Amino acid sequence: MDEPAAMQPNRDPRATLPDLLEVLLNKGVHLNLDLIISVADVPLIGVNLRATIAGMETMLEYGMMNAWDRDTRAWVQKSLSAHLPLAEGEEVIAKMAGGHYHEGFYRTWRPGTAYLTNRRLIIHRRDPVETLWQAPLASITAIEPIRERSIGGESRTRLHVTLEDESRSMLSAVDPERLISLVRGQLGHSPAAEADELPGAADGPVLEGPMWYLETRAEGGTWRAGHASLTEADGLVWKSPLDGRARVRTSLLEDPRYTLEEHENPTDEQQVLVLDSAAGTTRLAAPDVVRWHEELTTRKGAGDGARG
Amino acid sequence: MSEAADLYVYAVVGDGDYRPTATGIDGAPLQVVDAPSGLRAVVHEHTAGPYEGPDDDVKRWILEHSDAVDDAWQQCGAVLPVSFNVIVHGDQEAGSTPAQQLADWLETNTSLLGPRLEHLEGTTELRVEISLDRAKHVAEDPEVLSLTAEMESRPAGVRRLLSKRLEKMEKDLADRAADGLYPDLRTRLAQHCVDIEEYRRAARDPGLVPVLTAACLVRTAQTEGVGAELTSIQQEHPSLSIRFLGPWPPYSFADMTATEGSMTA
Repeated sequence: MDEPAAMQPNRDPRATLPDLLEVLLNKGVHLNLDLIISVADVPLIGVNLRATIAGMETMLEYGMMNAWDRDTRAWVQKSLSAHLPLAEGEEVIAKMAGGHYHEGFYRTWRPGTAYLTNRRLIIHRRDPVETLWQAPLASITAIEPIRERSIGGESRTRLHVTLEDESRSMLSAVDPERLISLVRGQLGHSPAAEADELPGAADGPVLEGPMWYLETRAEGGTWRAGHASLTEADGLVWKSPLDGRARVRTSLLEDPRYTLEEHENPTDEQQVLVLDSAAGTTRLAAPDVVRWHEELTTRKGAGDGARG
Repeated sequence: MSEAADLYVYAVVGDGDYRPTATGIDGAPLQVVDAPSGLRAVVHEHTAGPYEGPDDDVKRWILEHSDAVDDAWQQCGAVLPVSFNVIVHGDQEAGSTPAQQLADWLETNTSLLGPRLEHLEGTTELRVEISLDRAKHVAEDPEVLSLTAEMESRPAGVRRLLSKRLEKMEKDLADRAADGLYPDLRTRLAQHCVDIEEYRRAARDPGLVPVLTAACLVRTAQTEGVGAELTSIQQEHPSLSIRFLGPWPPYSFADMTATEGSMTA
């Protein structure tokens, strides 16, 4: 590799055909004519909504509806309510694959989709259509993760839900921790405050929640929405659900330093978190940014120890 | 059946002088549908319904579709590509032809489409796939070397077990290395891009661990800059394998719904 000349992109169809197929056929991409047209009620045939839906599904799984504008949110609510009956004013906050452990005449896991709305937690099956389990949020007194060993010997985390009538149910979800933290967010508990009381909290995150990362692009900075967690082992990790890997992983940094700085950002906070290291400067925004700063500075020693 | 033929749509452009120089799918002559606002759709007259057929036909159609989009992009400088198989009907009840339907749609959505076209003016999509060559990466690792050496002296059955362990060890090492490389690569690439969007693709080669797979929207003049960045990345990390595709019309950036990262405040 002594060639100093800049690498040239390749547009030979023999090399790019698989990518073109993906782009024009499967993943959609393109102008989402279909989406817009279906809203405008212009009749179209042969349209492909899958790509758009796939992107939205990812965001929904993360409970990141806020990342969209009002019109898009309205459209998503409309398309969701086609399968899931919603009450007036009820909005879906998150959706992910899930299930309910049925303990009636027989005991079995019944798979479906877990929906969290601003009113209810629901396990719903689309085909054949049936609401497998549901509870109004107001009736939930506790939601906790419990570890369970599957038949294969794998350890899985389930959701244990207690209602005000003291009935208990076991649910599953593809990302149980996130669903629990989203439910608690809706219940008005601070997910961080409660993490300390959990059984097995030692290996769970010290703090976690939505966080924005300021990325420098050719024409300025862009705040990117994502999810952050702070654990003893990995330090601060930030990742966008749209990316392949985590952009911030402080356990890999030498001597990370944290300060607070006034900076325009997508949260209600005045300040953002500035992370300095030999690898450069990173700006992060989060609700409760002061708490993040506090935990990061007190735990700095622990993070350093985990390196290598 | 409505009287006028349906319209198969390739792209939306803003250039009033655009005259297609390519042909469409199966050599169909391309036409342009104008809306009063100045937006125009590149189409062909279509009577047969959506394209369906064997894979080889679909591949040819896709290439022909992309040729038509490409022609509009090269000549106009900005284009909103439309995905494969988008076909506009007439509305019999309202008595409007497909061309009227399409022009109406363009007109109704001018406030969305116009700014998006402006944003894409003079831009190019490049695709960058950076992967880590697992074998190259672990070749010098002391743990891997000692386990490999140990295997040599063991009976076949044990060797089989150890080779499983070796494979997992190599996988974990490469994955951790990829985690470590990613932040710097993403930062370096992003600074050349107006927009950058990662995507997932099926593994082409099990020996390659994906590090960063992204569609990059760049000012056309910046293509060279991305190439130079990739060259220096390659020189710094010989165990990385880089696939660099384009220049393309901005296929991945015409989407007007997912406004990821926009300020909500």
